[in-house]
Order: sequence, then structure tokens, then C-alpha cells
Amino acid sequence: MSETAVSIDSDRSKSEEEDEEEYSPPVQSSPSANFEKDRHLMYLEMMYELLPYHYQSQEINRLTLAHFIISGLHFLGARDRVDKDVVAKWVLSFQAFPTNRVSLKDGEFYGFFGSRSSQFPIDENGDLKHNGSHLASTYCALAILKVIGHDLSTIDSKSLLISMINLQQDDGSFMPIHIGGETDLRFVYCAAAICYMLDSWSGMDKESAKNYILNCQSYDGGFGLIPGSESHGGATYCAIASLRLMGYIGVDLLSNDSSSSIIDPSLLLNWCLQRQANDGGFQGRTNKPSDTCYAFWIGAVLKLIGGDALIDKMALRKFLMSCQSKYGGFSKFPGQLPDLYHSYYGYTAFSLLEEQGLSPLCPELGLPLLAAPGI
Amino acid sequence: MHGRPRKASKPEEEAASAAKAVKLRSLQSQFMKNHHDKIYTEEAIELSTKLLEINPEAYTAWNYRKLAVEDCLSRIDSDPNLVNSIFDEELRVVESALRQNFKSYGAWHHRKWVLSKGHSSIAHELKLLDKFQRLDSRNFHAWNYRRFVVELTKRSEQDELQYTDDMINNNFSNYSAWHNRSVLLSSLLAQNADGFMPNERIPDEYDLVHSAIFTDPDDQSGWFYHLWLLDQTLNVETPLLTSSWPSHGSTIILSGAGCLNGSSSKFTTFCSESGSFPLILYFDQAVGGVSSSTVTIDSELKGNEDLVWEPISYKNSQVSCVWVTHLKYVSTDLCEYKVKIRVGNSPGIVSSRGHNFRAPYEFVFTAHVHDTVKDSQEGIVSWTDGFDIWDAKSKDLNSLITLDQLQAEIDFKWRQEAIDSEVECFGILSDSKIGKLTLARLLMAREAMVSDDAVKGVRYEEILQLYNDLMALDSSHYQYYKDEHSVAFLHKMTSSSESLSRHLFRYRGMNNLVCLRLNNLSLSRIASVEKLLFVQMLDLSHNELHSTEGLEAMQLLSCLNLSHNRIRSFSALDSLRHVKQLKVLDVSHNHIGKHSVDTTRYLCSSPLSNSEWSQDDVGRQNPGLVTKYWDAYFVLRDLNLKQLDIAGNEISGNEFSSFVLQVVPKLVWLDGQKLGN
Repeated sequence: MSETAVSIDSDRSKSEEEDEEEYSPPVQSSPSANFEKDRHLMYLEMMYELLPYHYQSQEINRLTLAHFIISGLHFLGARDRVDKDVVAKWVLSFQAFPTNRVSLKDGEFYGFFGSRSSQFPIDENGDLKHNGSHLASTYCALAILKVIGHDLSTIDSKSLLISMINLQQDDGSFMPIHIGGETDLRFVYCAAAICYMLDSWSGMDKESAKNYILNCQSYDGGFGLIPGSESHGGATYCAIASLRLMGYIGVDLLSNDSSSSIIDPSLLLNWCLQRQANDGGFQGRTNKPSDTCYAFWIGAVLKLIGGDALIDKMALRKFLMSCQSKYGGFSKFPGQLPDLYHSYYGYTAFSLLEEQGLSPLCPELGLPLLAAPGI
Repeated sequence: MHGRPRKASKPEEEAASAAKAVKLRSLQSQFMKNHHDKIYTEEAIELSTKLLEINPEAYTAWNYRKLAVEDCLSRIDSDPNLVNSIFDEELRVVESALRQNFKSYGAWHHRKWVLSKGHSSIAHELKLLDKFQRLDSRNFHAWNYRRFVVELTKRSEQDELQYTDDMINNNFSNYSAWHNRSVLLSSLLAQNADGFMPNERIPDEYDLVHSAIFTDPDDQSGWFYHLWLLDQTLNVETPLLTSSWPSHGSTIILSGAGCLNGSSSKFTTFCSESGSFPLILYFDQAVGGVSSSTVTIDSELKGNEDLVWEPISYKNSQVSCVWVTHLKYVSTDLCEYKVKIRVGNSPGIVSSRGHNFRAPYEFVFTAHVHDTVKDSQEGIVSWTDGFDIWDAKSKDLNSLITLDQLQAEIDFKWRQEAIDSEVECFGILSDSKIGKLTLARLLMAREAMVSDDAVKGVRYEEILQLYNDLMALDSSHYQYYKDEHSVAFLHKMTSSSESLSRHLFRYRGMNNLVCLRLNNLSLSRIASVEKLLFVQMLDLSHNELHSTEGLEAMQLLSCLNLSHNRIRSFSALDSLRHVKQLKVLDVSHNHIGKHSVDTTRYLCSSPLSNSEWSQDDVGRQNPGLVTKYWDAYFVLRDLNLKQLDIAGNEISGNEFSSFVLQVVPKLVWLDGQKLGN
């Protein structure tokens, strides 16, 4: 996985995968036919206590992993298992602040650090020497706070929003961190979700972000991460969810006025439906193997455009069950060991399938459905 | 959760992983210290190299190296050899990090950064890419990087196309290669580059994709590419005028409010209180720039000098397929007027993809202004009786659905030939689902190109059968096929005046209004509206419609029956807001209100911001009801309904009825009851 929560390809480091192969248990002969809620709870609680060493290369993404665990617990109806105050204090300790008003114009971004190791102390002059605030960490921090019920209007978000504009490029895309980095749809989505959660669009130029997103739609109906690139499930999610959060597309796009819609919804529907493979799971791109997380990335897009009734839900459920670990959690492919990323998107997928006992999903935020801001 | 290693089961494993963690931790903390103190010595840089070799995900280390490189460059006075060696070292570190994890965003980005500093050897980059793309031919980082390198070094698109040939020949399931091929070809075709004229090149591409599809019909790559090719074949860049109302050569009768004086004319009659009638232009694709300077109107109708043209679309969009303006007439001047319209008289009509409407087009119609009887009684419109069968021999219909600027201008021959040969080709694959679907799409495309009446519409039965088969074969995508079936059905129905006239009636109750009855046809989607612009009364009852999308073009529509359909909310009726003539609406027996709509999100963002409704009377007096019925409010307040039927929906009831009366004060009939005062 790269540095973000919306990291698309679950690209974990190679050493980690080798480790997994080493410990891979024999493929379960008959996977459970039920969503094993108690085992999932056990799995997440174990992770909450102590992360296994497989995640050491993910140190930098500490907030992201915490988001998967805490929001995952919420989906399982167990948000009370974490100490809300302790978590809020811990998350808020990652927030970066400018030393004074002037430095807001220095081009830096003052959001949340991904972890302690990327957090530098303020020097003797009171300056923050290295500001590693990252859009994805900021999204995850706010997501956690929102999920545990922390009132987001109480946090000091002024400098965060004003300085986020510094990350937006002329073409409408965002870099994740002010030092520079790849610009693509993942960070447009992070920025949109951050503005939405903080209930203020002062942090971005919506119109130019919209134009960037539209430039990413490919001829086959899906969206690539950058203009001209191949359609990809995660990128398509970032595009559609951002457009929804920004208010450019409404509910049930397909049965409304799609002829004048800014995107081509029927082509998009077509592409999305074709991502459900013969084994029932969703693939991220044409001719790639089915992978647990795309049940969410693509499933949520279908939900957002009002095409979720066309998913073969029985087949999808069956595929997801084959990725359910007997130790709790979900794996990327059938029969492998679980990891936090795929477990979390497994839970969101089951929530999308309206599994009993799971919190309902807010597809555009990728979080449990909570009261909207300002209500 | 503090990242401490989990206890492994065997002691030696435990020791090994503990040692690994200790090493990583100490590297990390030393590195952080260097970064903090801005130390860019050789040893410090070497330390970040080690860290990245273990963990290519450490993006802080990549960023540190960028600062270090800048620092070194500032100290060496642009000695070209030294500069090169610094950048070479960066490329080497990236390469070894990519060997560790070739999906590392940070590593690929660092490489792009080095290249954008002007340091690159194209041969080396392409060799490296070949290596990575051999290992994983679908790696999208590598494909994106490849496009980046090609653009940076201005490598020819023809050479890159050759590369996709090689990759596809190697494995035709490689969708990434097909994708890149389509991107390159789009660009080459658009430039009309040598050897890339569409009529020469596209047939060759069909041959290529056939070899993939026929080798393994279950592979999606070829099918997607085929769909793209079909699009290239059909896609005519220049926007064209598809139809208009009034149409060329037609005669219309205009009168003031109320009914026409004892006339049973065969012509289209249009009554209006405002003394104006709509002029509708329907283009084959969304265009902008329709205005009184790009469309000129030559007539004796007075007061039509500075016409305002409106796009029929979402309020902020300035492009649309449908444009409308309103021509004024004086209902006391009984006279006959000739009206001449010239579309594209001066340049300025441009498609949303940036192509100009090139060929000016002219059409003429005649308008009769007739005497009127004032104050006809406001009777209730019935959908059950009062209909006379249309006189099928009437020639009026031909002029009503005459289509305007069609194929004449465009080079259609190679397109038709290409589609014909595809139809022939896929006839034999039509036992698979995708084979059937492709054949159905090809046949639809073929029908759209036919201009010869003798062979027009002959293949619709086949198309409908294909979609029927698909619905039976593939129930999980039933609704999709159902929609396509509806579209094909409507195309068929409108393909000739004979088939259309079977659905046409005259409604005695309203001055022999032309009524199109499409009830009980299990339609799930509306299509072919461009041929139905003349319709003033439309019966779509007892179908399976989810929305009224498409009806917004029917600017003459005054009575609409949508009872017994599957409308789930008022927002599905959104397109009707554009139909300003609509007086009678029947949405009884639908599913409105059955599914709760999450209104909370709408209160914080568009479309219904507080400021919009808090200023009008209903919003001020009854904010609670507006919040509850916001979607109904949004649609109803923009209509001028006289008659509404809403019974048989979850939403209906006393509270909703009283809300309707507030929003639509001019309503006369509600659910069959005449309203007081």
C-alpha cells in the first residue's frame, strides 16, 4: 500500500507478501457461508491492541491503519470498544499548525501528519522545520474523529482549509504534501472529503477540480488516475465520490436527467458492471483477478449512480466469503491471510450488501453512515 | 498499537524479525535526525538510500533526497559530469527500490522528478520500462511512466503504436496495451496523420480486434476495444441538426387562449395565452452558441428581432442537444406568415467537444393565426375516452416527422461498409451473451444510417429479439437489456409514419389535440424524442418508467399521463421543469414516497440551498413541509399545472395535498376533484 487510505492497488511491499506466502495456511476447504461477525470483532480488537510486524513498512501510515481499525469496529457495531477521548486526543496530537498567520502564505499545508516518525518538533525559534502534513493522513484523521463522534466543528480547521489551497495545481488536481508528490484523483478525493467533513469548501477550487476529474474519464466509461490513463476501479471511485461530495451529481444519476449530466453515466454503468467477474468478485481493471477491495470501490460507484440493483449480489457475497479468513478479517484473494486494508473494504462491501448487524454505509465518504455535518 | 513486532512462533524467526525491526528503527531515527538538521553529507545520503532499499514506501526519505540533490547541485557549479553522476545515482536508487516494490508511488514519482530536471536517456528509460513491463505487463505505474517518457522525449506516436502491436501480439488479454493503443490512435486519427485517415485505418483495426475476439470470445479486452472502434466509426464530429419544430414545409395554426373556433383542422394547432410559440432545434449532440446571431429568422411576425435562445438542460450548463426560443405573434392579426430559419448563418455553434457546426441549414414553415373563443370552460382531461383514431392516410404526418439535416453532408459510405461487414462477422458469434449484445448494437447503428425508406427498419425485429434473448439468458443484467429494448422499440415505432400513426389519436376534449398513446408497452426508458417534438398529449401509462428523462425536449407537451409506472420520487420528474406548457399531469399509482430519500445531504449542499426557498412565501410559511417534501417542491413550483393526479402513491394524503395547494395555487383539479374557488 502506498501512503494513502485511498491507495488503490493494495500494493503492499514485497517483503510482506513473501512473509505471507511463508505462513500461508492451507486453503480452507469449505469457507464459511456466514459473515462471521464475532471473529471479525476479535480480529480488529487484536489489531487495536498490537499491530503485527508485517505492518512495519507502513509505519508512516499509522493514522490510516488506525482508521481501518476504528471505523471497522464501528461497522461491526462496536464503536464503544475504543476509548473515544483517548483516541481523539491521540489523533489531534498529529495536527500541524503554522507558527503565525504569515506562514499561512508560505505555500505549506497544515493538516495531519501520518505518524510520529514524520512529525518533527518545533525548533528553538518556534518554527516547524519539516512539515510533513499529508492529505491522506488528514482524511484519515478526520474520518476517525467523525466516526468516534468527535464534534468536527470544535477542531481548529481554519489554517488547515486555507493552506490546503496551496496543494491544488493549475489543472485542478492536488498534490498530497506541499514538498511535492504525484498529483492524481486520489488526492482530489481526499481534498473533497476533507472539505465535506469540515463543512467548508474554502479549501479548494471546486470548479477546477471538477474539470480535472472530467478529463480523467476514459472512452470505456471508467476513470483513470490521471488524464489519459487506463480506467481503474479506485480512480473511478475517487472521481464519482468527489463529484457527489462537491454536489455536481445527484442521487440516482441513472434514472434522473442523465442526458445533461456532466459525465456519461450509461457508459460508466456499463464499465462498472463488466468489472464483476465470473467468480462473482469485482476486478479493478479489465482482465485482472477479482480482489476484495473492489467490491467496495466499484460497488460504491454503482450505489452512487443508482445502479447497485444490477450487481449480482449473491455471486459477490459468495466471492467475498471465499476471502473471509477463519481468523477474522478479509484477504485480497481467496484463501490468503487477511490484512487490515482488505478487511476494512470487506466490511464496507458487506455493509453495501446490507448484511444484517452491520452499520449502513455512506458510500461517498467510505465511512459508516453518520449524521451529516451541520445537522 | 505501537508497531512492536508480533511474537513469532519459532525463536530463530523471532530473533531474525526482531533484528530486522531494530535495524529499520535505528535507520529511521538516524535518517530523521539528518533530515531535521538538514545534513546532506555523503554518509547521510547513503543512509537514506539504505532506508529506501528496505522500505520504498518511506516518502519522507524521497523528499529528503530531493532536498539533498538541490543542495549538492548548488555546491558544484554545474560541472556537467558531476551533475550527471548525481542524477545517475538517483535513478539507480529508484531502480533498486522498484525492484523491491514496483508499485511504489513514491519511487516512480522520484524518477519523474529526476527526468523533469532535464536528465534522461530515453534509450535507458525505455529499456528499463521493457524490463518492468515484461515482468508485469499490466503495471499501470509503468504504463503511466511510459506515457510520461514518450511525451517528455517527443517519441513518435507511430513508434509507440508499434509497441502496443508487440504487446498485444504477445498477449491479447493485455487491456493496458489495448487502452494505450486507443489513446494513441485517437490522437493520430484526429491529426489525420499520414496513413491514419479514419476510412483507411479503422477497417484495419477491426481486423486486428477480430483476431483477439475470435481466438477467445470470453476475453473482455477485445470487446472493449471493439466498442471503442464502433464509437469511432459512428462518431461524426461535426454537429448536425436532427430535427426541429415546426419542421420544414409544415403548416401550424396559432391561436390565443382557450379553444380554437370550431375548427377540426388537420394541422398542428397551438394555443397559447402568452401569444408566443416555441421554436425548437434538436441537434445530434450537445452544442453551445445558439443565439440570434447564429440563427437568423426571416418572417413578418413582429417583435422577434432579439430572440433569446435557451438550452434545455441543467441550469448552469450552456450546452444542450435541445435549444428553444419563443416567437411572438399577435392573435388578432388573422393572417398567414411564412417563416424562414437559417441555422449556422454565422459561425459560433460549437459542439461540447469543440467542433463547429459547419454547414448552414435553412428551413421554412407557414404559420396561420386564427381567431379564438375566449374562456372555454376548464374541463377535466380524461385519459379513458374521447379519443379518435388518427387518419392514417393523412399526409400531414410526413411533414411532422420530416428529419432535417441528415447524412447528406457526411461521408457515410465507409462507415456503412464497416458496420455491414461487422454485422456479417458477428452473426456467427451470436450465441454468446456478448456476441448477441454486440450484434444488437451493430444493428442499431446500422439502422440509424439507413436513409432509404425501402429498407428502413427491417432489422428492428431482430434487435428486439436479441434483447429478449438477453433478458432471458442473463437475468442479473435484466434492467439494462430492458432499457435497450425500450429504446429499440421506440426507434422502430418512429422509423416510419405508418408505424407511428398506429399510436396516434385525436382527443376531442381538447380541440382535437394530437395524442400519442404509448401505454401498456412495458417501456422502461424514453427515446426517439427528436421525432416526437409535435406531440402535445402523451400517454405513457402502464409502463415501467423510472424517470421522465428525455421528455424535456417536448416543449409543446401540455398533457402527460405517467400513471402506473415506477417513478420513485419527484426528482425523477426533474426534466418536466423545462416543459413550460405542461398543464395536466397524472403520476398516480407510482412509487413516490415509498423509498425514503436522504434529505440531510441536500440541506448542506446543492441542489436545494436554504437561501433558495427561504425567500418565497411557501418556504417562509412552511419550512417544515418544504424540508419534508423538498423534491416535490422543487419540481412543482416550476410548473403551471391545472390538473394533477397523485393518488396511489405512498406520499399522497391530506398533508401532501394541502402542501400541493400551497405550491401550485392555480391548480383546478386534484385527484379528480374540482378544487374550491
